[in-house]
Amino acid sequence: MLFNSLDFAMFLPIVFVLYWFVAAKDLKYQNLLLVVASYVFYGWWDWRFLTLIAFSSILDYGIGLRLLHEENELKRKAFLWLSICVNIGFLGFFKYYNFFVENFIDAFSLFGTKISANTLHIILPVGISFYTFQTLSYSIDVYRRKLEPTKDVISFLAFVSFFPQLVAGPIERATNLLPQFYKKRQFHYSQAVDGCKQILWGLFKKIVIADNCAQYANTIFNNSDNYSGSTLVMGALFFTFQIYGDFSGYSDIAIGISRLFGFNLKQNFAFPYFSRDMAEFWRRWHISLSTWFRDYLYIPLGGSRGGTWMKVRNTFIIFLVSGFWHGANWTFIVWGLLNALYFLPLLLTKSNRNNLDVVAENANVPSVKEFLQMVLTFSLSVFAWIFFRAENVTQAFLYIKSIFQPSLIALPTIRPTNVIVLVIFFILLEWFGRRNQYAIETFFINKPRIVKWGFYMFIISLLFIFRAEEQQEFIYFQF
Amino acid sequence: MKLFFKHIIIFALAFFIVEKGVWFILNETPKKQYDKRLELLIKGKINKDIIVLGSSRGAGNILAGQLEKETGLTAYNLSYQGSNVDFHKFILETLLKFNKAPQYVLLSIDNSSQFIKDESLNYREDAVLPLTKYNYINNELVNEKINSPLSYAFFLGRYNKFHSLFRDAFVNTRNPIDSFGSMGILKKNDVKLNYVEKTEKYNQNFEKASRIKAFKNIQKLCKLNNIKLVFVFSPSFYNFESSFYTRFKKLDESENGIFVYDSTNNIYRNQEYFYDKTHLFINGAKIFSTEISNFINTELSFNR
Repeated sequence: MLFNSLDFAMFLPIVFVLYWFVAAKDLKYQNLLLVVASYVFYGWWDWRFLTLIAFSSILDYGIGLRLLHEENELKRKAFLWLSICVNIGFLGFFKYYNFFVENFIDAFSLFGTKISANTLHIILPVGISFYTFQTLSYSIDVYRRKLEPTKDVISFLAFVSFFPQLVAGPIERATNLLPQFYKKRQFHYSQAVDGCKQILWGLFKKIVIADNCAQYANTIFNNSDNYSGSTLVMGALFFTFQIYGDFSGYSDIAIGISRLFGFNLKQNFAFPYFSRDMAEFWRRWHISLSTWFRDYLYIPLGGSRGGTWMKVRNTFIIFLVSGFWHGANWTFIVWGLLNALYFLPLLLTKSNRNNLDVVAENANVPSVKEFLQMVLTFSLSVFAWIFFRAENVTQAFLYIKSIFQPSLIALPTIRPTNVIVLVIFFILLEWFGRRNQYAIETFFINKPRIVKWGFYMFIISLLFIFRAEEQQEFIYFQF
Repeated sequence: MKLFFKHIIIFALAFFIVEKGVWFILNETPKKQYDKRLELLIKGKINKDIIVLGSSRGAGNILAGQLEKETGLTAYNLSYQGSNVDFHKFILETLLKFNKAPQYVLLSIDNSSQFIKDESLNYREDAVLPLTKYNYINNELVNEKINSPLSYAFFLGRYNKFHSLFRDAFVNTRNPIDSFGSMGILKKNDVKLNYVEKTEKYNQNFEKASRIKAFKNIQKLCKLNNIKLVFVFSPSFYNFESSFYTRFKKLDESENGIFVYDSTNNIYRNQEYFYDKTHLFINGAKIFSTEISNFINTELSFNR
């Protein structure tokens, strides 16, 4: 069920009404309703996926309880590894089996040995990478004794399957989300209104920005041989805004819906395209994944505690794994590697924590230095997205090669005025709202209701007027 | 909670009312269109004896005004350049819904492109989208999954890029629409044409099931409404595609008429009568239209 579908437009109000009016008296009923709603939401894609999420949840719930009572460190470790192996095993099988088989065959054929192995027709369960990481964080935190394991199975099932963020994040930590299922949620007008505003902004990002940019990005990337250098640059720019609008739009909708149900999820995107260096970019892009890798991989590997070599090694590991997490394709690995290379100079010069504040925090416009830093960082990320979007590494290199030809200075052949105007309008709104959790959070907040509502109606009108001809699925569903 | 619901309901109502202002834009757009044939159809103003359906071949090669003069029956051309058989079916359905059924429907056949996926033949969204103010058109667009079901309640759901064009549509001077709906080609093309003998066989594997289905539905609709359906094969600047014709005859399910141009007529090998390989120039269209009139007149005298 897509957030931007009519199915969901009917599903959400029904669940909302049942949640606040029918199940509100008892916390257990409320949580049970969330589990049922989440399983319906997830089963809408393919009911067979439900067995996987249910198995994963029950296993980690059981392991959590065993970890609570087990004092023997060796046994505790064994239980943790059981959770890691089963969860990563599922992920590995569904997501990476064919990739590894195909690459083994290719590797052997390089040495003249021809082997035959069967690849499988595997359907990748939607959102498996997200809920696997979420449930893993629970097992690890319980093992580390940072979190008391839950005895309430309904709360745990609700935590793993919570429908707003089930299929594309944010990847919530058990330490933040699980305790929210223990307490009775209270309806707060301001929280619900804020949730609606964030949903609206998320829909704008997805329907108006991402889906419109996607049409042109797809055309250009799918026929990259036929376009001039400048048009290929446009294609990369369209994809840059597509992926941001798509993914951060999803996160906004997820956070907004959660607020309607009385939950608070962590911010997942903090205006990353206004970053002044790549370190800042990675503190602002897909925050829930970056911090997951930091806490469960980077720090256990030694983090920044060792010497320079240790830091460099760990940084490269994190970026490579992060790239691989996105999909079973070398393009994602190269994308991760490229980002590690971008990060390296900052790490070596110890300037990776230079920009911790919001750019031009007390001004309307950035300084020239800040502006140039933002342009450079943005350009580096656009360049990296080419690898992310390309079908394979060869296409990515050919695409880049084709950019750098004399036609780079020609006028692009694809330059849709309406989409360009929309993107500029979007950038301006994001810029003026960059101090908030999401851009329009405080827009017109102190103005009369008619002004506020007029603005929201204007945004809704844009959703209708600029809906793309082809509705696109959220990109991150495939991860 | 009460306040939240109150505000949501008031906001939704306010939006529902405010967005109705879009009607003024939806209402203006059809007036700016150059081709008003579909709107005339919806208004029930095409009550004729002979109706021509097809793509550019039908539009330019068959002159409805001439048919009217030569047969004594009223005629109108509802062919749309670049349209496919799905669109022809839609036009026929619209015709039958709002107008009286004609005696004859002449369906111009696009030879080997008729049933296959050909990029140059499409469902002509651009002809339909400016008319979203009409519920009938909106229903069709919802069925085609072009408009969302939300468009039943919100006029904004009917808004599309054609409503943002604030100037009148481009007036076609190469093949303007005449008062009978035909679009004979008036300006010559300077390209030199060579008559070729095509030898490649028609490949059934490229056919699209939806096209075949639409074609069969046209036949059913005509039968149901007692309309004589005539398939018209126009001349091309190459030999007649007989392997396609063999396949075509298998899809002709009833006693529909098939009219094939006179392939022995030497003028169809003379470039002077052609605009390009598949389209006749106006002088060629006049000769071809007379052939069709003769066919209909013979039919009429046979039936009397």
